[in-house]
Parts: sequence; C-alpha cells; structure tokens
Amino acid sequence: MTILGGIGFTAPWLLVALAALPILWLILRAVPPAPIRRRFPGVALLLGLTDADAVSDRTPWWLMLLRMLAVALVILGLSGPVMNPQTERARESGPLLVVLDGTWAGAAHWPQMIETLQGELNRAAADDRTVAVLQLTRPEAPAFQAANTWSTRLAGFQPEPWQPDSAQIDTAVELIAQSGASSALWMGDSLAYDGQDRVLAALETLGPVSVVQSGQNTLGMTPATYADGAVQLSALRAAAGPARAVTVLAQGRDPAGNPTTLATAQAEFADGATEAQTELALPAELRARITRFEIQGGRSAGALTLTDDSLRRREVALIAGRTDREGLELLSPLHYLQQALAPTADLLDGALDDVLPANPDVIVLADVATMTDDESAKLADWVEEGGLLLRFAGPHVAASDISRDAIDPLMPVRLRSGGRSVGGAMSWGEPKSLAPFRDSSPFFGLNIPDDVRVSAQVMAQPGPDLAEAVIADLSDGTPLVTRKRMGQGQVVLFHVTANAEWSTLPLSGLFVEMLERLAVSSATTAPEAADLQGTVWQPEQVMDGYGVLRDAGTLPGIEGPTLVDAPLGPQMLPGIYASEDRFLARNVLTADAVLTPATWPARIPVTGFRSAPPEALGGLLMGLALLLLALDVVASLALSGRLGPTRGAVAALALLMMMPQGADAQDDDIQRAIEATSEVVLAHVLTGNADVDEIAQAGLRGLSDTLYFRTSVEPALPMGVNLETDDLAFFPLLYWPITPDQPRPSAEAYARLNDYLRSGGLILFDTRDANVAGFGTASPNGRKLQDLAAPLDIPALEPVPSDHVLTRTFYLLQDFPGRYTSRDVWVEASPPGAEQVEGMPFRNLNDGVTPVVIGGNDWAGAWAVDASGNPMLPVGRGFGGERQRELAYRFGVNLVMHVLTGNYKSDQVHVPALLDRLGQ
Amino acid sequence: MTPDPITLRQSAEDQAARLPALLARAEQLAGAVLLGDHGRRRAGTGDDFWQYRPAQAGDSRRMIDHRRSARGDTQFVREREWQIAQSVMLWCDQGASMRFNSTDALPTKAERARVLTLALAILLVRGGERVGLTGTRLPPRRGRMQVVRLAQMLSEDSADDYSPPEHRAMIPHAQALFASDFMGDIADVQLALTKAADRGVRGVLMHVLDPSEEAFPFRGRTIFESVGGTLRHETLKANDLRDRYLERLAARKAELQRLCALTGWHYGVHHTDSSAQSALLWLYRAMDRSVMVRG
Repeated sequence: MTILGGIGFTAPWLLVALAALPILWLILRAVPPAPIRRRFPGVALLLGLTDADAVSDRTPWWLMLLRMLAVALVILGLSGPVMNPQTERARESGPLLVVLDGTWAGAAHWPQMIETLQGELNRAAADDRTVAVLQLTRPEAPAFQAANTWSTRLAGFQPEPWQPDSAQIDTAVELIAQSGASSALWMGDSLAYDGQDRVLAALETLGPVSVVQSGQNTLGMTPATYADGAVQLSALRAAAGPARAVTVLAQGRDPAGNPTTLATAQAEFADGATEAQTELALPAELRARITRFEIQGGRSAGALTLTDDSLRRREVALIAGRTDREGLELLSPLHYLQQALAPTADLLDGALDDVLPANPDVIVLADVATMTDDESAKLADWVEEGGLLLRFAGPHVAASDISRDAIDPLMPVRLRSGGRSVGGAMSWGEPKSLAPFRDSSPFFGLNIPDDVRVSAQVMAQPGPDLAEAVIADLSDGTPLVTRKRMGQGQVVLFHVTANAEWSTLPLSGLFVEMLERLAVSSATTAPEAADLQGTVWQPEQVMDGYGVLRDAGTLPGIEGPTLVDAPLGPQMLPGIYASEDRFLARNVLTADAVLTPATWPARIPVTGFRSAPPEALGGLLMGLALLLLALDVVASLALSGRLGPTRGAVAALALLMMMPQGADAQDDDIQRAIEATSEVVLAHVLTGNADVDEIAQAGLRGLSDTLYFRTSVEPALPMGVNLETDDLAFFPLLYWPITPDQPRPSAEAYARLNDYLRSGGLILFDTRDANVAGFGTASPNGRKLQDLAAPLDIPALEPVPSDHVLTRTFYLLQDFPGRYTSRDVWVEASPPGAEQVEGMPFRNLNDGVTPVVIGGNDWAGAWAVDASGNPMLPVGRGFGGERQRELAYRFGVNLVMHVLTGNYKSDQVHVPALLDRLGQ
Repeated sequence: MTPDPITLRQSAEDQAARLPALLARAEQLAGAVLLGDHGRRRAGTGDDFWQYRPAQAGDSRRMIDHRRSARGDTQFVREREWQIAQSVMLWCDQGASMRFNSTDALPTKAERARVLTLALAILLVRGGERVGLTGTRLPPRRGRMQVVRLAQMLSEDSADDYSPPEHRAMIPHAQALFASDFMGDIADVQLALTKAADRGVRGVLMHVLDPSEEAFPFRGRTIFESVGGTLRHETLKANDLRDRYLERLAARKAELQRLCALTGWHYGVHHTDSSAQSALLWLYRAMDRSVMVRG
C-alpha cells in the first residue's frame, strides 16, 4: 500500500491515468454535441445557407469540468483509497499482562479503551501470546489465557466509581509479582492516584511496560453548595490548559415526574486554571426538584454531583397562637424558631388556611390549642400525605382541654391538665436537665450542653404506649419531645414553649441540631463526621462508574461518620443515602478534591487510543462520480434544449414529490379558525337539508347585517358548523334548526356540545313549526328536538318570564316572534329563591347566560335576506308582517346582546333608566 | 394500392369527427362579427328600400309609389337598393408545412387557416354571397349546405410539403382568398396572382405564420426537416443562421406585398399566437374593401 498525504492507495498505479485527463479534455472539446432534429417548415428558406465557420458550438467549460471531475473521481475511486491506513509492526512473544485502571475517570472513553484493548488482544492473538487482565479497582488473580478468550470477556469490564485505594494497590502489586508475565500493557485513565508508582515499579520488574491512555483532560464536579441565594457549582479539570467553557446541566424531574434538564449554566475555565466556578440562581421549587448537576458530555461518575438536603430549602410555615402582643419580639413564641430556621429554610407566614394550599414541608404550631374542625381535618390530610407537624406547648395548650381525654389526632400523646412548673419561686426542686438521648431516638448522638434547663412543661398522660412515642426526655424521665407517625407524615410535640419562657432549650445550639435531625431545617454545609454521630444511613440509590444511578437494593446501611469520612470503595459506593427524613449524597469528588493528570517516567512509552479503523473511500468517490454524471445528463439535456419548460416542470415536480407534503387540511382548519375568531361570527348547525341550511345561513346573514347597522357588534359572515368535525368554541351563538330527518350527532359531538354549553355557549333551538316549542309530542320536529337534546346537559327550563333579561338587553321586548308568533319560548329556569322586591320591575336574577333558548318561531326564516339584502321569505301580511319581521330582528339583537354581555342589563344600576323608559 | 376498407372507414370517421368541430369553431368565430350593411349603396334591383326620387319622364306609372305621392303634389318613385351576389373563391393551403405548431399551446397553422377561411365563408354566406373553392372541385354556391361542403373539403390534408396555390377555373371578376404560409416556391404564387389579375379577380393574401418562424429561436447543432420530411438542412450553429433566415423571410414578405400591390390584392400576415377574432375582422374588412374598390 502506498500512502499519500495520510490516505493509502491499494492500486496507486491507476493514479497515472489522471495524467490523461488534459488529453481527454481536448478530445471532448473537439467533438461537437449530437445534433437535434427539428421539424421546421421554414427550412425552405434555409436551403443554401452555409455556416459561417465549420466549427460547431463547443461544449461549455463548466460542463467539461463536471465531466473531468467525474472521470477523475472514477480514477481515484478505482485506485483503492483507504483512510487511516495501518502500518506493520514487529512481533512480540511471552505472556502479556494487561492492567486496567478502571476508575470513573476512564468511563467517558471506556468504549474506545475497550476497542483499543481489543486491537491489542487481536495482535497478541496474532503473535500467539497468552494474556491476563487485571483491573486495579477490582484486583483479582490474573489468569493467563488465550487472547481470543479475553476478547469475549471484555464486555465484563466496567469502570468503577472510585480510585484504587492502598489496600487494592497492595493486592495488585502482590498479584503482579506472582503473575510471571514477560511484558505489561497499562490501559490508564490519565488521572494520577496514590500508589500508581508502586504498581509501575512492580510491572517494570516483569519486563517492558507500555502505557495507553486517552490523554484527554478529565473533568470533574465538586458537590454543589448553596450560598448567597444561588447554587454554587464548581467544575475541575485535570490539566490546566487554554480557556474553555463547559456546560453544567441541572437534571431533575419536571412537574409530571419525567426526568428532564431543568437549567443550564456555563462554567468558564480561565487560561491555565484547573477550576471553574459558576452559580445558578433558581426558585426554591425548581431547586428542590434538582437531583444532580452534571457536565454536559461528561459521562462519568466524577463529572456529576448528586444533590441532597443541603440544596433543598424546606418551606416551613410558622403559626403562633398569640398574635395580640405586638412589640414583644423576644417573647414572641416564634422568635427563636425564626432565628433558627431563617438561614436554612424558607419561612411562610399567614393563617393556616392560607399556607396549607402552598403545601409546606413543615408546619410549626407554637402554643396553638384550638382549631376549627375544618382546619383540623385539612391539617390531618396534609400530615397524612407526608407533612411534618411540629407543635410546641405553652400556656394555651396547658390551659386547654386538648388531647385530655383521648389522643387528639394532631397530638402525639395524651396530656395531663395544667402542666407543671419546677424550680420556680413557688415550687420545689431544681429546673430539670435533659437525659441522654436513647439510641432509638433521632437525636441519638447529639451532645447535650450542660446549661439546658427546663423549668416548665406540659405533662404526658402515662400509658402503655407512651414510651415508644418519646424521643427525648428529661433527667427525671418525663417526656420532653414526643412523636407520632401519621400516614406518611408525623406529628412532633415539644412539651415546652418555643421561646425561652419555659426552658433554655431554644437558646442552645442543641435546639438547632434537633430541628435539623427532625428535617425541619437542613444544613447548608456538608455535615461533619461528629454531626452524624450515632446515625445510620441507608443507601437509596448508588452510582456506577458512568454516573448512572441504580436502586441500592439490599445494600447494608452505613454509619454516619463513615459515610462522611471513609474513602469510596466496594463497601462505600457513591450515591444517595437516607436517614429518617434526611437525605445525604456521597459524591465521587469531595469539595476539596484536586484532579492531577497521570505522569509517567520518560522511559515508559505512552500512546493514545488507536484512531479510527481504516476506511475504504472507493465507494464514496464512485458514488460522487455517479452523482456528477447524473448532473451531467441533466445539464446536457438542458444545454441541447431537450429539457424544455414542460419537461423542466416535470423534473421539478418530481423533486417536489420527494419533499414532504404540507398538511393542507390542517391549513384549512387553521384558516377557518382564524376567520371564526378574528371577528364575532354567528354559526348555525348544518342539518344536511340544503334548504334549511341555506335559510339558516341567510337568516344569520340578515341578523349579522342588522347587528352591524344598529349596534356596536360587527359580526363577520356567519358560518355553517358540522358538529362532528368543527370546533364549536369559536362561536358565541349556535343556531340549530331542527329537521325531522337530520342525523343524531355522535357521542364525541355531544361531549363537545356539552363542553360548549358549560363554557358559556348558547344554542338557539328552532323547531320551525310555530306550535310545539313546549316539547310537544305532536310534531315530528318537536319529537326530533326531544331526541336530539336528550344527551345534552340542559338545565331546568321555563317559558321566558316577563322579567327575563332577554326582554331588555337591547330593545324592550315582550314577544319573540319569527315567521310565526308563539309565546312559547323556553329558557333556563330562574333560581327558585328569586323574589321580586317591592317597587322593582324585575327580580334580581344575576345568574349566568341561559345555555339554551328553545322555540319554534322559525326566526332564521324571518331574518333571511338574499345577497342584495332583500327579505327572502314573506312574514305575515302587509305592514303588520313587516312589523313582525322587525320584532324578529329585535329578538335576534337582544339574543346576541344577551350572549355577549350576559346579565349586564339585569344589574340594578339600570333600573332608573329602564323604569323611565317603561314609563313607570 | 386499394385502401383497406376498415382503415378507410376509420379515417373517414376521423375526418367526419373533425368536421363539426371545425364548423363549430368557424361558426363561433363568425358569430362574433356583426354584419355591417353589405349593400351596393346604389339604387338597383333588390329588396331593401333605397330612396324616393321624384318621378321622371320615362318612369312607368306602375313605378309611382302612391303612398308617398299622396302626401303632396309631386309624384315619387320608390327605388330599391341594388343588391347582387358576389362569387368568392377560397384557397386554403392543405400542404404538410401548414401542419406545424411550435408548442402544443398553439394551434397548427393549418387549423388556424381553416378556421379563418371557413368563418369568412360563413360570414359571406350569411351576407348572401356565393362561396366556393378555387379549382373545379367546389364551384361557388350559396346556402348553408355549401358551408358544410366547404368544411368537408377544407378538412382534407394534402401529402405535399408545400402545395402551390390553386388557380384554375377562377370566375372572372370574382373575389378570392388565399391563405397559406407561402413557404413554397414563390413563382407559383406569382403565377396564380397574375392569372387572377388577368381575369379581374381581386382578393386577399393571408400569410399565416407560426411565431417560431418569425423568431427562429434555435441554437446549437441542428438538423431542420420540413414537416413532410422532403427537405432537410443541417447546421452546426443554428443561432448563426438566424439573421440570414430572417432576412430571407422579410424578403419573401416584401415580394408577396409587391405582387399584391401590382395585382390589386390585399396582403396580411397572421401569427397563430395572436387572436383569430382580430384576424377574421381584418379579413372581412379587407374582403369588403376589395369589393368597394372594385365597385
């Protein structure tokens, strides 16, 4: 194979043919294009004319270039070009020990690493060497086997989310010494760790060592912290290099619970810096949903950091029983709570009814004894769903009868009346101190300061189940804090006040720590080992080397201090750990982590991963040549005039056919929707009877014209509505003429009609038969109306009362004639309680718009006008008929006004004007 | 060779099917032209009233119009307009060269020429003239049947590439219409016109051309063939020929015009992409004029 400019050629001699291209150029130019035969009667006039010069039109240079290019591509393609050609190398022999770092730092390049290793194994197989593989993060005795056997097992190697610790290094060094390999290959992860040199020394005693590593800069993230109202994020890189920006993604769950990217931030590595800072200011709700931050494209456990309670600011609602003592700040039952919680939690103020809809994490009731039943029920529901109700005792609680005879649902224990006071001026004894916390208590492990004294408390009623409710007690054994689980939540009662009146507890640091342990507040800094003394943390989710979380399953719990201090390893996996209601994340990198690139002595050959495999380019070039030739066909045709406009159009059409077709139907729908909504549009239901539909259309057109001339309603042309397909929501009014033979709408259409009626639409049913609007059984139209309207959500009806708002929305009317005059027009019944006030002309009926108006007066027939505005159908006789038509129009105007303005005219403010007009 | 009866029938029916279409188009075209008065504008034998003139010596008493004369003392004679039927002879080129259109959107020259010819014939028949073809096949007659016969004759195609104008059996002092592309030998046209002029026949030369024949929009190496395939001309650069072709075409038109001027004929050029209506109007006026000139 010959290599020219990085591309190898399997048949380089074919390239000589490229030299023939200029000759081909000359020849091709000299040959004229084929003649075109044309029918032309004028040829008689042409006879005898000779060409001025004997040379025909030359082929244009660009066409020549196209052809030359195609020929050149064919030649190149045939000469067998290969990208990334392989070169030969010397044979080696003896057992080969392959050492893998196998840390999280290699996760991002793991497939390439495996691929490279596969190549090395293939070579070892070709050289007939035996191979053993040793992963430093999981050292196991290397077994020398044929290279092909290892090839099948490569998929079993996965990066681990830790770096080899000293114990693993010791094991590995020992195993290497025993292996007896003749040379070693170290697949490194480009990151330095303690003991790397010891492994190298051990390997060098065996024989030559070569190192293969990606050489790419490893990225990492330290745990996110919360400060100054924003999440502080910090990204690390192993080697300082030129300035570079990385994108940090905040991953979490959207309100529907699906994993998504909630926010992104850019972190800029300055030139020569290994650390990049950025911050992300997010609303508390969004911040609480974030589960982890990761560097975009990081793909390793180190390039992401899990979040825990330190980012989650709990919402705590503080409610006090006494609010009438203004100005006594230090005596306020909430003062110390506010001081303790303000740095770490979002505080809500307000009445219970107001804060409950906000669904806070914690509600603190300081000395609140009585609540309404409704409040209690709501609060109980909230606790059942996972809320933490934290109650403090106080004078009110002590004085009340709450939880006296039976346990109050919102109290953990029964209380004795009155409480007790110790160590005061009028009592015996000393103020009590706290007893050490029992190991079943969530406070277990906290240090109890000596100066905490309790001088008054409410007493729990002794009982068989009291002991298990107590989580903190006084030195004399009386309960100080009791707790009860309720559904997913819990109720905790401090038997003292939340201020310093009854005890000094709120003044001590223990108070804050107890709140922390109860997950009322959350620490904003990473906890120290001492803070977690005595707690056991259960792994919830653990992470593998790629940073993929999986369920922890039955992994054993870990002691608090260990969780903070112990290095990561097979026993201490990074992930999310939970204790009680608190969550703690253990990340791969700690806050003070530094990434150091691996350095190798100069004697060790270090190579990168193998680049892309050889790739034959012949097919690609041939394909290109074919494409060019196809272009040449088109160009030649166009040039010789054989690609006429029609044929060009056909070609263009063929091209268009390949493009995705636009959705015309959708466009029509959108167009219709725009037409229906850009103006007020009246609509009628298409009955399928062409005459009725035409009259309905013409009637609404006449009504629209009338509205346009007389009122400020300026409707556009009315539309026919197909109940099955069209959207009804655009139309304020639907006119529905009833014909005996119209089809019954489908269930979906009825659902849409009911939606329409409920959302304020009005349907004007018209049986067009003058007499049976009262749901008569006599006429076919009436029966059809009954049939059609049965599934509709129509309220109770009554004939239009004389004080209905329809009688005065625009015109003062008492009759609603169409082509027929019938009094029986039905609307929604007025509420039964409506009474007429003495001296008022109408009742106070401020309810909604009637959803239906049902009548049989054939209003559309009276309204109908033709294109030039003349009435289409006769109404009555002579002048009286015209008067009736006028009243029909007035009814239409009133109806549309009623639809558009609701019961505006029912407002009593219009009474004087109406009284005046009514002449009363 | 005897034609196969089935083929004969087939082609006959094809022809017959084309006939009503041609007739209909021609009728439609003719219907759009409102006939002006076609009288001789002088007193003579006829049906239409021309004028009253005072009776002169020599007028027979029967000629006196008593209705008019009774109004006064003078006696009047009622004169009628002189109306006489003219013979018009038509020749429409049936040669193969006429069956050409440069694009499918345009009618062939033959179609256009036939429609114009037949429409003119219909107009003339309506005006009471006798219409026929030059030559002996269809002498001038009047009446609706003559139109049908004309349509039939006009629908026939000739196999020749360029057919010379038919000039035999021309009735003296008649009128004539020659519609052709005049791409053939000019000598034939000259002969026909001189012969017509000898017999006192006046008329119109309708030069029907396709727009591509005027524009010559051809490029590159081309072999031009006549429609019948008898003539061919090959060129390497068609665009080079354009100027010289257009010169020759202009010369051909000039020659035709000169001949017309000599013989008292009218000469008009019609392109198939322009409206047939305006061509018909021009034709009708030209026919009228030639009558007037003579009259």
